[in-house]
Amino acid sequence: MQIDPTPLARGNATLRISLFAGMADLAGCRAVEIEWAGGSVALLRSSLAAALPAIEPLLGRSAVAVGGVYATNEATVPCDAEVAIIPPVSGG
Amino acid sequence: MQHHPLTGPANTVAAAKLSEKQAPTGKPMLVRHAIDSQAVLASVAADNAGASVLFVGTTRGLTSGVATLSLEYEAHEMMASDCLAKLQAEALTRFELLGCAIVHRLGAVAVGAISVAIATSAPHRRNALRAAEWLMDRIKQEVPIWKCEQGADGVRLWVHPASMPQSCLTMTASGGEHEQYR
Repeated sequence: MQIDPTPLARGNATLRISLFAGMADLAGCRAVEIEWAGGSVALLRSSLAAALPAIEPLLGRSAVAVGGVYATNEATVPCDAEVAIIPPVSGG
Repeated sequence: MQHHPLTGPANTVAAAKLSEKQAPTGKPMLVRHAIDSQAVLASVAADNAGASVLFVGTTRGLTSGVATLSLEYEAHEMMASDCLAKLQAEALTRFELLGCAIVHRLGAVAVGAISVAIATSAPHRRNALRAAEWLMDRIKQEVPIWKCEQGADGVRLWVHPASMPQSCLTMTASGGEHEQYR
């Protein structure tokens, strides 16, 4: 699914973001792509919420993994990063 | 010089040999087939173990009064494997375990079937018991695995507890405890 990044700042790279479980159901897809010029996890959250309003409530309770590691809101997301949204987990 | 029969050099050598025969610590596994819990338990056998603990999580047939037909598990597999390996390593050190095995099933798991098996072994029971509980608590808090309840009423329900723990995010958590997304 290609998302128009407006009103995001347009960059020259496409960032692929993997979605799982209820987050994928809400978005209607298992991955989204946004144009990304680099920035923080916090910016990524707000960019994603603007592009996909339906996921916003669950996104607020979810973690963001960059390169397979949980990242804080202050962490930087490079243009070539592997990003996943991790909604609250329920294994076991 | 006479050596005490329990502490003399001969037994020190014997103890050293025993400590070498620890359980091989296999990597945690994510599997899409039935879990052989006895094999998981057997994998943590160690000569110096005084206690071995096996925990299995099984699909409950009734949750909040609603009948469940099966659970469907999915994971961020690469990340879940890494998280489980880190937890296994931490448990081995923290609880001074001799063996530690973790197997989690993915895909559909019928009512009564095993979704997760954890085995621990230690010289004494308390650490083996504590380690198994600690591992399950951590798995339920931070390992990216999710369950979807397939209800008898036809409803699919992804289970997303209140929020990821603060250690995994810095946003203010919202939502009630054990809130589920329908």
